[in-house]
Amino acid sequence: MRKPLSMERRQFRVLYRTFLMRVIDLELLSADADTSRLLAQFAALFAGMSFLFTFWIIASGGALPRDFLWLMEHFLIATTMVVVGLFSVLCWDSIFPDRRDVLVLAPLPVRARTLFRAKIAALISALSLSVLSLNSISGLIWPFLFSATNEGGLLGILHALAAYWATMILAGLFMFCCVLGVQGAASQLLPRQHFLRLSALLQIAVFFLFFGVYILEPSLETPRALTAPENQRLLAWLPSYWFLGLFQQLNGSMFPAFAPLVRRAWEGLAVALFGGMASILMAYFRTMGKIVEDPDIVPGAHRANWSPRFGTLLQTSVVLFSVRTLLRSRQHRVLLSFCLGSGLAIVLAYVKTALDLQRLLHRATGGAADVSFFVASLWAMCFAILGVRFVISMPHMLRANWIFRMTEIHSVTAYLAAIRRSLWVLAVTPVWLFFCIFFLLRWPAWPIVGHLVLLGLVGAIVVELSLYGFHKLPFTCSWLPGQPKVRLVSWGCLLVLVPPIAGGLEKRRLDQPLGYVCMFVLLACIAAYVRWRTVASARSAEGLIFEEEYRPELFSLNLPRNESIPLPLSADVERSGIC
Amino acid sequence: MLDIRNISKRYSGIPAVENVSFCARAGEVTGYLGPNGSGKSTTIKMITGLIAMDSGSILFDGKPIHSDLMAYKQRLGYVPEEPYLYTHLSGAEYLVMVAQLRNLAPRLASERIDGLLRAFALYDDRHVAISAYSKGMRQKVLLAAALLHNPDLVLLDEPFSGLDVGSSLILRSLIEELAARGKVVLFSSHELETVERISSRIVILHRGRIVADDSIEGLRTLMSLPTLEGIFSQLAVQQDTTAISKQIADLIHA
Repeated sequence: MRKPLSMERRQFRVLYRTFLMRVIDLELLSADADTSRLLAQFAALFAGMSFLFTFWIIASGGALPRDFLWLMEHFLIATTMVVVGLFSVLCWDSIFPDRRDVLVLAPLPVRARTLFRAKIAALISALSLSVLSLNSISGLIWPFLFSATNEGGLLGILHALAAYWATMILAGLFMFCCVLGVQGAASQLLPRQHFLRLSALLQIAVFFLFFGVYILEPSLETPRALTAPENQRLLAWLPSYWFLGLFQQLNGSMFPAFAPLVRRAWEGLAVALFGGMASILMAYFRTMGKIVEDPDIVPGAHRANWSPRFGTLLQTSVVLFSVRTLLRSRQHRVLLSFCLGSGLAIVLAYVKTALDLQRLLHRATGGAADVSFFVASLWAMCFAILGVRFVISMPHMLRANWIFRMTEIHSVTAYLAAIRRSLWVLAVTPVWLFFCIFFLLRWPAWPIVGHLVLLGLVGAIVVELSLYGFHKLPFTCSWLPGQPKVRLVSWGCLLVLVPPIAGGLEKRRLDQPLGYVCMFVLLACIAAYVRWRTVASARSAEGLIFEEEYRPELFSLNLPRNESIPLPLSADVERSGIC
Repeated sequence: MLDIRNISKRYSGIPAVENVSFCARAGEVTGYLGPNGSGKSTTIKMITGLIAMDSGSILFDGKPIHSDLMAYKQRLGYVPEEPYLYTHLSGAEYLVMVAQLRNLAPRLASERIDGLLRAFALYDDRHVAISAYSKGMRQKVLLAAALLHNPDLVLLDEPFSGLDVGSSLILRSLIEELAARGKVVLFSSHELETVERISSRIVILHRGRIVADDSIEGLRTLMSLPTLEGIFSQLAVQQDTTAISKQIADLIHA
């Protein structure tokens, strides 16, 4: 006979399930959306990445040199660490109890320790799932090759498998505890209201740090680079190399050069674990009371009412709403940071590689701007526009959007003009001004002015392309997971391929006046065409969209039929809109 | 005049509102009553155009509202049942946004916003984020946003919710004043005493159907009951309230 669960265990189970589902912000989702489906999509994405990581094994038939194995060991560890780190940053608000948790649960007979255990268990489960799915394929295949560096055989394979998974889990735990520690230390050291204000900035800073280190850290996976005295200071600050050493130790294939790194890994893990646990304990037993007493937002008694004009009243209203939401909504700031951080990392990596290559080939630019800067500016423009466009399509306080429905007294084209203005204010103008200052301070005027004109035209084209069929006001339409994936892939391909080709082409045309004029006219024509197409699409729209819906699985073919033969449709089928 | 003709709405096949018809005239306050879940808010949302009806028609000044929904919305002021607002904006920012969305001239909008904020005693907190507002303050922001553009039709869904005594008295007089100035006022409330005092006409809804539609005097005469509470209990409360309260107390005692 099964023993009945104690009250505390039952409470733990209920709270665990609730917190696990709240790792994802449900308020973003459309009424039709399904959280389990969203989680499955994330898991599938990670599993897909895991499959891609095994590509080299398939391509080489399993015969890979030792140096390459080291490179892959480091790559897999660093990728797991950055994914766990970014996931922890995205769950930033779910780590500690918020005002809602406390106000809902405090009147109930729930112990603080039950709440604490459920919250931590939910977070660890979510993070473990991400580590598991990210390594689901690579974690089973790569250890076969890594076993070649230990004693080999079946025992060697099992040894490598255990070492691989232990390293990934410890590396993930290290990242998670670091985020906990940083957030916990800030929450303990600062007054709560200051912490709430600083927390968003801290979150973005940590996000950029993780992403920046992952993209820009140098490749040092050879015995020579690892033992070189000039690299030792750098290695002491790169945790992914510490865990590479730890893997080698656990796998039984450690080179003596790794000994200091292994020591750092264990020390780092101990410090992170201690810091993380201490901050959680203090947050739960010291801060819980303060959360109820202090309001989340300090009233700014005499804050200036900043409201400049951005065109018509409707345009001003939509632009100001977009700017304020982006500045004040933490979720959207983080999403934008993610998009811009990805873009910035790619741009920096590209420019760095191009300049290194140029130095290697001893090519001189003769005082002119290098083509890689042109490509970088085109990429930055595209990333900024698409990043902002992606973020404004994510809703904020969905239930408050009734006011936009109630005041829908303009045509869709008028709203489109307002959304376009928002993209220009939030993305095109800042990027264009940044490159204006950056280029004009460094290089002679003519080619740069020419490039800046073309950059503006490219911005206009990308804005129009991104607004085609987008009949939604910023932050007001619910989000349906899985809908934009096809468009995302095509945009991704376009974004990666076009700027390098266009940059090279432009650099050549800038020296020929006629070629430049032709290029300008061509881009202006494209900009005019895409604008006309976007406006035409808006004209044909019935109204703004506030609720994203799955497309029907059956579509009408609209075939002409004989009016004398009635269609045998039931009233329910007619209402469902399937036919 | 707002003319509702045989409107119906079903959610997943379950009827929420069935063949509801009534008129709300200019210069009158029409009270819309019904127990929880009777379909009051669904009707009001259909009148605002926020949700589509399955059948029937709604006419305002003789024209179907869906024939020119944009023009209709320009003449409509609405206070929803729940105070959902963009809490990251301040009270002043929210009202300025609504004025801009409604294309109100900046100077006029500024004058009206300042005046409304002062009248609703929100002026000192106008730059405070709405997230720090109490429920009553949020309700006042909703009322100000609904009246900002001087609408011809005012729909108020539970407008007294969260308001203190002073504000409730002001709102009560305001509703009468708006009607006196020729506006169509339709409001739903559970405060029967207030409804009885200010409504020229009462519409009572029960399980999605209209069970009474008359002036308050007409209903009193017809039902031979002295108060609206008595009329409402007879028409829309089909439960023995004393027995149910005893049942609840017994249940938690067991």
